[in-house]
Amino acid sequence: MVTGIARVKNKNGIHLRLAGELVKAATRFQSRVTVSKDGREVDAKSILGVAGLGAEFGSELQFRAEGSDENDAVAHLVSLVENEFARETN
Amino acid sequence: MEDNLRYVYAVEQFFNECKEEFRFEALTPSLSSPIPITVPDVHRPAFALSGFMEFYLHERIQVIGETEIVYLRSLDPPGQREAVQRLFTKALCCIIIAKGLEPPPDLVPLAIEHGVPVLRTPLLTTPFLHMLADHLEDVFAPRTTVHGSLVDVYGVGLLFSGQSGIGKSEIALDLVERGHRLVADDVVEIIRRGDVLIGRGSEHLRHFMEIRGIGIINVMDIFGIRSVRIQKRIEVEVRLEVWDPKKEWDRLGLDEKHVEMLGTKIRQVVIPIYPGKNITVIAESISLNHMLKVYGIDAAKRFNTQLIDMMESDRKTRRYLKYDTE
Repeated sequence: MVTGIARVKNKNGIHLRLAGELVKAATRFQSRVTVSKDGREVDAKSILGVAGLGAEFGSELQFRAEGSDENDAVAHLVSLVENEFARETN
Repeated sequence: MEDNLRYVYAVEQFFNECKEEFRFEALTPSLSSPIPITVPDVHRPAFALSGFMEFYLHERIQVIGETEIVYLRSLDPPGQREAVQRLFTKALCCIIIAKGLEPPPDLVPLAIEHGVPVLRTPLLTTPFLHMLADHLEDVFAPRTTVHGSLVDVYGVGLLFSGQSGIGKSEIALDLVERGHRLVADDVVEIIRRGDVLIGRGSEHLRHFMEIRGIGIINVMDIFGIRSVRIQKRIEVEVRLEVWDPKKEWDRLGLDEKHVEMLGTKIRQVVIPIYPGKNITVIAESISLNHMLKVYGIDAAKRFNTQLIDMMESDRKTRRYLKYDTE
């Protein structure tokens, strides 16, 4: 099992469109992936789960993956939130 | 696909289709004409009769009303003949006399001589022109035929498309069983009126269906008259695709996808299917969600706005609590 932490850097937080992208990315991995915020853990492959976290600007997300590609999954998702999402301006 | 942007409409066919509606009477023995009807517009030849031949739109149906007749009556017989002859300096498809008026004596003989059919209707000129324009617009409307099933689901026309054997007919049948109405199965004829696409079944196939394993069934006989309708505006294309784990499907509904059909756009929803998946309930949801959007209620957008607002207020609360050290 691998874990990783990402900080939400875009002003609007993880809104629906970003939640969709995160889920799309998570779904590409074989591993079981979860994401949690403030102790609430949800399946990273569920749109309503991820959006429902309400991960606002400045909050911290913890990814946890278990499976054959767990390392890649966590690395990719952390980078997605910290780098790609951070570029989103609105 | 589009088979008739230059559609040719024979006068004889026009006469047969419209003789009851317009109460046509043929004043010439033959209905064959030098040129067929090729455009959906009509022309009043008053200017041509009076000698102004520019913009004499001879390829259109010529409608003679009271204006033309009163003008011709004001001329002496040779002048009248000369005026009528001007009409025939170009090839005509047909002449229609409205309001049951009596044509000038030279008109019918000259028309016969030039092989131009003359029809007469007792309808008043203006209402007749409107009805005629309507009919011609229908005849010349862009049209196409697609492979699919059209069902009226809660008042929304859903056109199911997808490869052969994917189960379009079965979905249509299931929807009918749940009280929705079949418009056409397998072959859907579509015409465009303005921006609106209207679909209907071909006349011979109407409300018959082929279900693999059963054969041909008649939906109206089985489910009754309320299970069918003749035509329906098409609002959403529901494209069925075989589930492919490598393919990505829309999971948000924030962006609408559209497809072009006959030069107008309609919404498209792509649904992955696999055995046992209940497409019927999904189809009903597509219709209801579409209606909500028409009424200005967009679930995905509303969810997103609510989420963003919630995160914003969470942030404010957190900041407040952070410095709240009493």
